[in-house]
Amino acid sequence: MSYATDLPTTSEFGQVPGTPQGSPAEAVHWTRKPWFVNALAVAILLVVWQYLHSVNGRVPSIDEVVSFLGVELGGGSHGGVSRGEFWGPLSISLQRYAIGLAIGIPVGGLLGLLIGGSRRFRSVLNDTVLVLLVLPSVVWAFAASLWFGIGSTAPVVAVVLTAVPFMAVNLSSGIRGLDPGLALMSDAFRVPRLRRATHLLVGGALSNAVTGVRLAFMTSWNSLLIVEWFGTASGVGWRAKHWYDAQRFEGFVAWILLFVVFITLLDWLVLRRLEHRSTRWQQQPTLTFAEGEIA
Amino acid sequence: MATILIENLTKVYPPTPTYPQQVQALGGVSMSVTGNVFVAVLGPSGSGKTTLLNIVAGVEEPTAGAVRVVQDGVPAQVGYVFQEPRLLPWRSVLDNMLYVQNRKSDRSKREAEFYLSMVGLSDVAHLYPAQLSAGMQQRVGIARAFLVNPDVLLMDEPFSHMDALTGRSLRDYLQRIWAHTRKTALFVTHDVGEAVELADRILMLRPGGVVFDDIPVNLPRPRRPDDAAVHAVETEVLRRFDSMEAAVRFGDQRN
Repeated sequence: MSYATDLPTTSEFGQVPGTPQGSPAEAVHWTRKPWFVNALAVAILLVVWQYLHSVNGRVPSIDEVVSFLGVELGGGSHGGVSRGEFWGPLSISLQRYAIGLAIGIPVGGLLGLLIGGSRRFRSVLNDTVLVLLVLPSVVWAFAASLWFGIGSTAPVVAVVLTAVPFMAVNLSSGIRGLDPGLALMSDAFRVPRLRRATHLLVGGALSNAVTGVRLAFMTSWNSLLIVEWFGTASGVGWRAKHWYDAQRFEGFVAWILLFVVFITLLDWLVLRRLEHRSTRWQQQPTLTFAEGEIA
Repeated sequence: MATILIENLTKVYPPTPTYPQQVQALGGVSMSVTGNVFVAVLGPSGSGKTTLLNIVAGVEEPTAGAVRVVQDGVPAQVGYVFQEPRLLPWRSVLDNMLYVQNRKSDRSKREAEFYLSMVGLSDVAHLYPAQLSAGMQQRVGIARAFLVNPDVLLMDEPFSHMDALTGRSLRDYLQRIWAHTRKTALFVTHDVGEAVELADRILMLRPGGVVFDDIPVNLPRPRRPDDAAVHAVETEVLRRFDSMEAAVRFGDQRN
């Protein structure tokens, strides 16, 4: 097919819109770049930590904690004992975490779809899910420990119960925020239901869903560690409690540090990138040329 | 050949909590459009133009009356250009085009690119709608409506949100693309100049949703708003519009 038109196209106006010369990021001074700000925050934290150690001997030094971590990782000995206890508790916790999220996120997603897409489900489920959301994760941790006792069930249940409302509320609000005009457009063009579900509902609510996933990951990790602290004899939380009970402050701090490092790395390396990808369409530079320039 | 048959079409919206009175949008509209003609439905705000188009498109149900939109006896494929572009903001321009296309193949992609080229947007297929100006977004909306190879093209004041210059250039694009495809078109507007420039026939709706007049426009194409002949027809349409307003006022006084 070909069609001759004497109206100009965008290519006749030089640079293609949306590909501005020079990224805005290039204009930002290096001292204001995220990596520098983050590094500065960590450095300040370390300085404060070392200062606290110098004024209060019960606070372990950075050196003591790092050395303890090395031993837990199996790379040396502490007090004449080489333990290498890091990977065992971590793998147990990660297994519980993965199972809990593998159940909680789809269940929460399904609830979100139902609440967001159906007025009837919304009237029945919306308040219930909101109640679940406002309960702090520590409540789920204690409740799961009481229901299921010591073992692996309680931590998994706590992760599920924490993840579900975050996922459901975020996804449902994303669906409810969709422009009804887009549904009308889909009706007018007779767009099939499956394509409408994948392109319109999921596509439109994707950024909300990813936010739900991110929050579910972060808050569930808290629940898991609390349940392991109080209601299990294995896992990362249990290991931190072990050193707490033994009055080994450096061991306790080392494991707490591991909690933080794990969730921070997960957030930086996976969740934020996922969120960035899902909101890519909102981050593009808006063009400001007048219509007359190209039409 | 596509045909739109509308018989005694009535649409009454029931009271709502925000507007506790029932509203009659259409009060017995009858008309027929057959063949490759461009018909403008002209009327003031509240005359039921958009409701009429939505019912023809099958996205709204009439309260009474009947609508048949057929192509050679079978239900016709409809293309719709809305007042706002109604593009999926999270999809690229090309993906927005393909969203309404039922066939998924290289050919449908080529067709999408072809219609984008017809509205001068070949180079922005990869961009998101928010990166385009309002006029460019509406051009995507026009290209999308043609992409489904519609038997009937419905347009609901597609240039009403544009400034005068943008509206004029979009009308040029529409005239060219329509001259190439010659689809049966129902174009809703409240702009007399736009109706005369684009249409073969102008149906005038009065408030309450009743066809008041049916005016043929027998002018050669392409038409320009500054043509003397276009201006003459515009004057005649305005004269009839004045008489319609007088009739409405007279009717109001009698009531």
